[in-house]
Amino acid sequence: MASSADMKGFYKQKKKNAAISKPSSNKSKSKPKNAVSFGARNAQPTALVAHGSLDLQEGHDATEEVLRQFDMNMAYGPCVGMKRMDRWERAASLGLNPPKDVHRLLTSTSNEGSLWDGRV
Amino acid sequence: MPAMDMEVETIQRKQSLYQSMDEMFEIQKEMYKGQQYSQIYYIRLHLIRTLIYSLLPNWKPHLPVCTVLGLEEGKECIVVGTLYKHMKLKPTILSEYSKEMSAAPLVSPYNFVHPDDNLVLEDESGRVNLKGSVLSPSVYVTGNVVALHGKETSAGDFLVEDILEAGLPPQLDLPNKSGEDKYVVLVSGLNVGSSSSNPLQLQLLVDHITGHLGDEKEQHSAAQIVQVVVAGNSVQIHHELLNGQNLASKDQSRLSEPIKELDIFLTQIAAGIPIDIMPGYNDPANFALPQQVPLNRCLFPGSVAYNTFRSCTNPHLFDVDNVRFLGTSGQNIDDLEKYSEAEDKLEFMERTLRWRHLAPTAPNTLGCYPFTDRDPFFIESCPHVYFVGNQDKYATRIVKGSEGQVVRVVCIPKFSETGIAVMVNLRNLECHTLSFGTQISS
Repeated sequence: MASSADMKGFYKQKKKNAAISKPSSNKSKSKPKNAVSFGARNAQPTALVAHGSLDLQEGHDATEEVLRQFDMNMAYGPCVGMKRMDRWERAASLGLNPPKDVHRLLTSTSNEGSLWDGRV
Repeated sequence: MPAMDMEVETIQRKQSLYQSMDEMFEIQKEMYKGQQYSQIYYIRLHLIRTLIYSLLPNWKPHLPVCTVLGLEEGKECIVVGTLYKHMKLKPTILSEYSKEMSAAPLVSPYNFVHPDDNLVLEDESGRVNLKGSVLSPSVYVTGNVVALHGKETSAGDFLVEDILEAGLPPQLDLPNKSGEDKYVVLVSGLNVGSSSSNPLQLQLLVDHITGHLGDEKEQHSAAQIVQVVVAGNSVQIHHELLNGQNLASKDQSRLSEPIKELDIFLTQIAAGIPIDIMPGYNDPANFALPQQVPLNRCLFPGSVAYNTFRSCTNPHLFDVDNVRFLGTSGQNIDDLEKYSEAEDKLEFMERTLRWRHLAPTAPNTLGCYPFTDRDPFFIESCPHVYFVGNQDKYATRIVKGSEGQVVRVVCIPKFSETGIAVMVNLRNLECHTLSFGTQISS
């Protein structure tokens, strides 16, 4: 599976095609832009795919990505029901050396709840 | 009548240093933020696993350690994780909704062990079924953290060859080996207000402890008592009064009578000697362990006036003259008895010491507060005296650890049924009973 950075690159470029035009049949170009359109021709109409990409982008920037990786790391225990800052502090007091940049991000942003907050 | 030579020689009671370490069991500062019990299991696994990792080099240093997902077929290794016992007879709320009526006969509700129970090992990465005759499912319960040596079979199960428990924690040396005899009285199950409790018996106990009973020799031995601990179930309130309806005033006084009676007894003791009272499962305190400090001080208007009266948590950890006492009112051992088998209660208590955990079945079958940052039932330092209240009969044993730890393990019987209280000597950890009877057998 492509890493998330590549997926974003995928859809970001799709967004730049503001006009929802039919994909060109120029198969010789090997840029990812056309690879998307190549597949899209047989799959759903481009309009729907463009909508799907907007949803995935919602509130999900690089900071949140780092924090979600921290949430998912099982070495620090389950993340459900705990604020991220509390979980970081617990990991620090147990001597697990959680990454300091996560702490920096947590103090600067207000993403208190974990990944599953309000969704589970 | 010859005048009696009144030499009023007052006998002084011995004094002792007391220190309570109950802060770990207090939850006044905790704020519930929506956490689940997975947090306390994680903490427990982390604490005991870190400990076991430090013990592995002395046990089987040649074997690799891996996680459950890292198991490879046929490779001998060591895994550390939490045990889960799958029990056929364990009552679940879901069986109410099962379509077929259960064909199993109604087993006695006291013990849910079945020969078909099987154990599963779990850590953060996954679970694996455990097989092998070394690991007996009737001994272990859900919530134990252990290290297992074995290998994965072709069926995907883990065949256990050997098992390592956390073992007894380190213990501070018993002080005062050559000093004077000082005693701590342990009593539980007073059950004031129940039909089985006999106020005369309780008054005899109070009189003996305060030195109002017996001749000079008796009084001298009573003067050596430095602390009294009441380990739970001190009152029994009539449940039929608590059915949710408004109480008439005469019912109200019936409700509070047992507590007033208890207060009178406790005031008499508190007037002369430090007394600790712990809540039990019948007492008006919270249900989930660790039961909190009130037993509300306003319930005991008489005794509260004395600073020798201390209302404590359940479990209770304290030092008297640097002799460490750790005890509960019985819920942890009673719960173990429902979900595992042993020869006697002392064996359950010894197991909890070797597992280094007071209540491994919490929160699975024993109510418990969902801690996120600590597991207060983890035994950090080995007590010198480990007691459990509200048992059926008196029993005691010395448990020895591999590093020279010596623990006096005591089962305190219910006073309302047996009339027995226990005295422990601080100097040498010897233990004997005080037995009070009011029947004169002909």
